[in-house]
Amino acid sequence: MSMQLNKYVKYGLIILLSTALILFTQQVKLLKNPDSTPVEWMTIMGLLTLWLFSMIGVLLSDLMKKAPVKFLKEFPMLGWVAVTSLIFCMCFDFFVEAIGYVDFLSITTPILTFAGISVVDRLVDLRKTSWKVGIVAVFVFTGTYVGSALLSELGLFLAGK
Amino acid sequence: MGLKRNYVILLIFALIVITAAEMIGTQSLSFGTFSISLMPLAFAILITMVLGLPIFRKGFLQRIYSKANVQFSSKYLIFIMLPLMARYGADVAPQLREILNVGWVFIAQELGNLGTVLLGLPVALLIGLRREAIGATLGLGREGELAYISEKYTLESKEGQGVLSLYIIGTLFGTIFFSLIAPIMLDIGFRVEALAMASGVGSASMMTASSATLIERVPEMESTIIGYAAASQLLTSFLGTFTMVFLAVPLQRFLYNKLTKKKKQQEVPADVHAAE
Repeated sequence: MSMQLNKYVKYGLIILLSTALILFTQQVKLLKNPDSTPVEWMTIMGLLTLWLFSMIGVLLSDLMKKAPVKFLKEFPMLGWVAVTSLIFCMCFDFFVEAIGYVDFLSITTPILTFAGISVVDRLVDLRKTSWKVGIVAVFVFTGTYVGSALLSELGLFLAGK
Repeated sequence: MGLKRNYVILLIFALIVITAAEMIGTQSLSFGTFSISLMPLAFAILITMVLGLPIFRKGFLQRIYSKANVQFSSKYLIFIMLPLMARYGADVAPQLREILNVGWVFIAQELGNLGTVLLGLPVALLIGLRREAIGATLGLGREGELAYISEKYTLESKEGQGVLSLYIIGTLFGTIFFSLIAPIMLDIGFRVEALAMASGVGSASMMTASSATLIERVPEMESTIIGYAAASQLLTSFLGTFTMVFLAVPLQRFLYNKLTKKKKQQEVPADVHAAE
């Protein structure tokens, strides 16, 4: 049981670190450009909200691992957090307002910083991949993006939007 | 105690990188009618990746990129991403009515993900890939495809090597690729709403890169862009497996047989269940 508790304390601290880095980034952005999203009390409330939803999503994801339905079991943690947030935000406007005080782009920079650090040991794996798959990758990525964009464009046109 | 200090070094390094990336800010480059913009998020991943190259990883940088720190970053990256996911709910909720109004467009554009097979497979076969192509073009090569291919063919098979290579390339260059292609598509003349929907490709970091670049170009549409991209992403995580198993796999098999038959290839994927 205490092991279990320990695990969530750890997750909680890491998510807290993540929100603190967002605050830091938003502040740096503000130094660079005084017209960007200001840091106010509501920003802190917004960050706490993000922390809370993340934790609920983590717990939900763990609970659902015991669900008998394969689909629920395999639904990713990231998805559970988004669903949790969506439901709360639909019920209470306060959450939408508070989260709105958190600058979107400030959330992204810290994530990509850690993403970059996390992949450095994979750089050597690149040698194992063939250059041919590298070329294919460009077309695969372009394929999914252009494919979806074309259908969206057509769909929005047909919907008269 | 040494371990704790290790993490402190990592944290300080992260703060420095973030500050540097934000101070560089957004840099735009134009090529004729096209312009691409590199944003702080792209600089953050570029700086951390370049400094992590084996030739630079000496002395103090070696302590930053210690085994424990790199492992910490990859193990907990998903938790560091959670606040971003939580943010998406707040962007979708106020627009849910509007999104549901064009809900069928969101569902229809999911089929666009078959573009990986339609565009990727012919190219792969053209440059001489065979069984690797099965793994490398089934989808974006994220966890879903990785799981499917490894279950069906194992990761040691040719198909497995294909999907694994795509996974590695996507992990390393995916975000940079999507932050470059999004503005190019905008310049070609696609609507920003359509591109926002298309951004929900199934990888959270690639979606973020694409939608963030769109916001940079069309800031007045920020809430629409995030809302559409997040809704589409969420839909992909719901429907992605179904699209792959029921549509991408049969389509890929059909195309593969069709395209390789002329050359009298004996390697037909239905016959090569290497693992079985």
